[in-house]
This record gives sequence, structure tokens and C-alpha cells, in this order.
Amino acid sequence: MISLTTNTGGLKLESPAILASGILDENGYTMKRILDEGAGAVVTKSIGTEERNGYFSPVVAPEGSYLINAMGLPNPGIDFFRDEINIALKSGKPIIGSIFASNTDDFLKLALKMQDYGVSAVELNLSCPHVQGFGSEVGSDPVLVKDIVKNLKGTLKIPVWSKLSPNVTSISEIARASSESDALVLINTVRAMAIDVESKRPVLTNVYGGLSGKAIKPVGLRCVYEARKECDIDIIGVGGIYNYRDALEYIMAGASAFQIGTALMEYGRKVFGDIAMDLESYLKKNNVANIKELVGVAVQ
Amino acid sequence: MEHIEVKRKKVDTPTVASLYFEWDARVLPGQFIMVWVPGLGEVPMSLSKTGKEKCITVKAYGESTGKLAKTEVGELITLRGPYGKPFKKSGGDILLIGGGSGMASLRPLINRRSTGIIASRTPEELLFSEEFNADKRIEVTEDGRKGIKGIVLDGMDMVNPEDFSMIYVCGPERMLKAVYDKIKDKNVNAQFSLERSMKCGIGLCDSCSVNGYQVCVDGPVFDMNQLRDMTEFGTSKLLASGKRVKI
Ligand SMILES: Cc1cc2nc3c(=O)[nH]c(=O)nc-3n(C[C@H](O)[C@H](O)[C@H](O)COP(=O)(O)O)c2cc1C
Ligand code: FES
Repeated sequence: MISLTTNTGGLKLESPAILASGILDENGYTMKRILDEGAGAVVTKSIGTEERNGYFSPVVAPEGSYLINAMGLPNPGIDFFRDEINIALKSGKPIIGSIFASNTDDFLKLALKMQDYGVSAVELNLSCPHVQGFGSEVGSDPVLVKDIVKNLKGTLKIPVWSKLSPNVTSISEIARASSESDALVLINTVRAMAIDVESKRPVLTNVYGGLSGKAIKPVGLRCVYEARKECDIDIIGVGGIYNYRDALEYIMAGASAFQIGTALMEYGRKVFGDIAMDLESYLKKNNVANIKELVGVAVQ
Repeated sequence: MEHIEVKRKKVDTPTVASLYFEWDARVLPGQFIMVWVPGLGEVPMSLSKTGKEKCITVKAYGESTGKLAKTEVGELITLRGPYGKPFKKSGGDILLIGGGSGMASLRPLINRRSTGIIASRTPEELLFSEEFNADKRIEVTEDGRKGIKGIVLDGMDMVNPEDFSMIYVCGPERMLKAVYDKIKDKNVNAQFSLERSMKCGIGLCDSCSVNGYQVCVDGPVFDMNQLRDMTEFGTSKLLASGKRVKI
């Protein structure tokens, strides 16, 4: 029997293809549909303590092979998110609650609420590149990261995933600082911008945004590979995965599962089912019984 | 992003202006574009003309649409798209039901065999009414100064929906829901174009979703069968923050 069943970051997944945070995961009905249509799990939009509208549009600058976004962490605040999780939980598959905060106390508060709502794990957004005081500003401080992870691990019953930024000098250092987590999620978007030549101004209202899509796959792969060599914990790969070969690259670099975001712009929600099917055919053709056997095989 | 020169402009009503331009993209009735008003924001706009010459019809609601409506001939508009699924074509007699600026996206479907129910608050705001044959034009105003006094549903009492091979509806969601409820048990085919707030237009941000379907990608046009299972249709939506509110 060919199997895509994966144990990663303290969870058992029917498929290693997970929806990445911030894409189609604000509305409970959408998360449920994506799970029903074939994703192994979904990560929610990053949720904070207070309601935020995010930035004014334009919040995205799409090009053929990439996207730059500066949504600005819109979210209804943790209290109002309970209902959305409840709707999504009806799918019966794992929901991972993504949270963002600027200090350990708030991370803990948010994580406890997520646990209470019934999520299977929390993912710490230590890596959003375009909102002051949050995300990568927190995630580039190894001392703070270590403190947050330690506190959450000591208090929560559910697994803790740390989502890291590629916008740091040394990914290994941050990986080490968060190595008490149940998994590292690599990578968030790459800090970037776009300019409209006609109006002579930055396209995004926030000027800076995060680059995602095909263009960042080589960066994501390099980060996964480096972290794999640095520490012995589960890694979930994300960044520019559009098809099963992209996914295999991440797996061979050391990831035991992967997340998909921007590819939805090209293939829509069916991308999860399609990649899972193609991975299965690949395993069959190459006589590999379980996808686990391929994790990290390319690491030298 | 593309920059296209406005070739012609027509002020349709005191608050609505149509901007005409030549753009070589293939666009079908029902599809939309994202128009960027630098410094003020991006606005989803359906095309009110989809041949070689294209047109957007702008209602000045707020700052960005206000500025866009003031665009003059010779100036550029900045846009991306086209996005979304178009209306499915239908032969025979068709019924077009448009509330407020909703008639803009139905306009490319107007032909000799189309009957229009055009509804608005005041006579001045009746949009594209004159493009229908005089005997196939049902005007409805809330203040009753022109046509029938009332709302869209009152206009619908003037026709038998089952006489048409297809009914096309566009307008505010509460109006769509009311029309849907009125015809859902009848023997009719209908397509509804939904208007939801859109941040990305490309199926990523989730701000426009209805029961897991993205209005910007799976819609904006949905048929009766699709709407039947959508419990969020006409009942709830998410604000810019993602907070759920009643419609
Ligand atoms: C529109 C958009 C919104 C995003 N929002 C979040 C977010 O709220 N939290 C987060 O951790 N990552 C967020 N991300 C980053 C993605 O989860 C992912 O790490 C990144 O896009 C790279 O993967 P991809 O190339 O498959 O999109 C967002 C990405 C996009 C494109
Ligand atoms: S507008 Fe972003 S998903 Fe539709």
C-alpha cells in the first residue's frame, strides 16, 4: 500500500499538503471546503489579540510567477475567531491556529484560546515581513524567540510550530533558538516591493510587502536544507510549491510535510488533491512505500 | 498592471459616469477588473461594455470611486484583470434585473429580445434604461416619481418569470436574495452576479468568499443550483478585518 500518511510536528496527517497561513483561511466555511476538497490540514490566518483591518488596497501586486502582498495582518481578533474555527472543525481534519503577538504573554494568551477552540496545533508567526512590531521583528531576536517557545511548550498541551523568516542573516541561529518547538515552518515571504513606472510610486499602499510564489522556491529550499543540517526537529517546507516535483524537492531537502499558498492563484483549491495524487503516482512508479522514506535523502 | 487611455466619457446619472477605452484583452459579460486609483485604493469594476471598445461605469460612493468618476478623456486608468467567470449565454427572450449600479454588468447582455427591470431610488439614477426597447422596459423607483413605485420585486410582478429562457440578476446582495427567494420554486433558469468586497481579486485573501467559493474566481456569476447550498448568501459576510456580520 502506497501511503502519504505523515507524522509531523506532533500531528498525524492523511496528506502532507497543508494550506499555508494567510491564504483562504479567514472564513470558516472556506477552510472547511479546502479540507473537504483534499488538503491534509489548514493553517488559519494569523490571529492577534485585537481586531485589525489590515492595510488599504492595493494589498497585492501579482505577476506571472510571483506575488508581493502587504495585507497588514487583517484579523477579527482572537475572540471573534472562535466561530470560524468551529465551522472549519466540522471537516474533522486538523486545523492549525496561526497567531501573532509582540511579546511572550500575548503569544501565550492567544495560544491558550486557540487550544480551547479545539485546534490541533498552534503556529507562531515569527516572520511576517511588513508589519511593525510583529512577525519578523519578533522572529529575528533569538533571545525573545527562545523565551516565547519555552513558555508555550511549558504550558500548552498541543504542539507548537514556529514559522520563521528568510529575512535574517543566519537561519541556523533562529532555528536553534526555536528548536524546542515541535516543528519549524520555513519560510514566510521575502521582504520586497514593486514600483509603478507610470504613476511613479510604489504599488503597495504599505510600500513594502512579502514576495511569494515560484520565485522564492530556491530560497525556501535553501532555508529548509540549512535548518535540517542544524537541528533534528520536524520541518514543514513552504514557498513556491506549485506541483509534486516542487514538493519532492522540499521533502528531499528535509521537510516532512509542506504548505501551499500562492499556487492557489494559478491552480485554485484543487491544487491540494492534484499534488497528492501526483505524489502517489510518483511513489508507485519508484517503488517507495511511504513518503517518509524520502525525507532528507538529498542532504549531504 | 496596465495603463489605458480613456477615449470617451459619458455622465449617465448625477452620480454615475461611464469611461470608454480600447483594450485588447478578451473580456466576456459578467467579468470584472481591479482599477487602481493611486493613493486612494483599488476598486473592483465590472465591464459595462465588452467588445473592442470596453467601458466601466463608476458610481461615486467614496473617495476612490469619486476620483475615478472624475477621470477625463485623455487620462489613463490603471487596471489588472480581467477576472472571474462570465455569464452563460442564452438565446430567446431574456430578463435582466438590475438594482442601482447593478445594471452596469448586465448592460452587455441587452439585445432586441431582452426585457429589463431597472430599479433605483430616484428617476435620475435609473441606469441604461434607455438602451432597452421602449416596450421591454420596466422602470421602478422607490420615490415613485417614475415608473412603478416600489422595489425590484414590485417590478417583477409585471412579468411572468417562466416566460424567459434565462433571468440575469445583479445588484446589492439583499436584493439578489429577495429575487432568488421569489423565483426559487418556479420553473426558471437564473444567474446572479454577486457583489462582495474584494481585496485581492485573485482567489487568495478570502474576503469575498461565500461558503468556501471565492466570488472573484468561482463567481461573480452563480446559478440557482450553486446558490441553493450557500447558507452565507444574503445572510452573513466578513468585514475587512474578517469579523463576521449579518447582511
Ligand atoms: C496574501 C498572503 C497572505 C499571507 N498571510 C500570512 C499570515 O497571515 N501569516 C503567515 O504566517 N504567513 C502569511 N503569508 C505567507 C504564506 O503563508 C507563505 O509562507 C508564503 O506565501 C510562501 O508560500 P507560497 O509561495 O506557497 O505562497 C501570506 C502570504 C500571502 C501570499
Ligand atoms: S478578493 Fe481575495 S479571494 Fe476574492
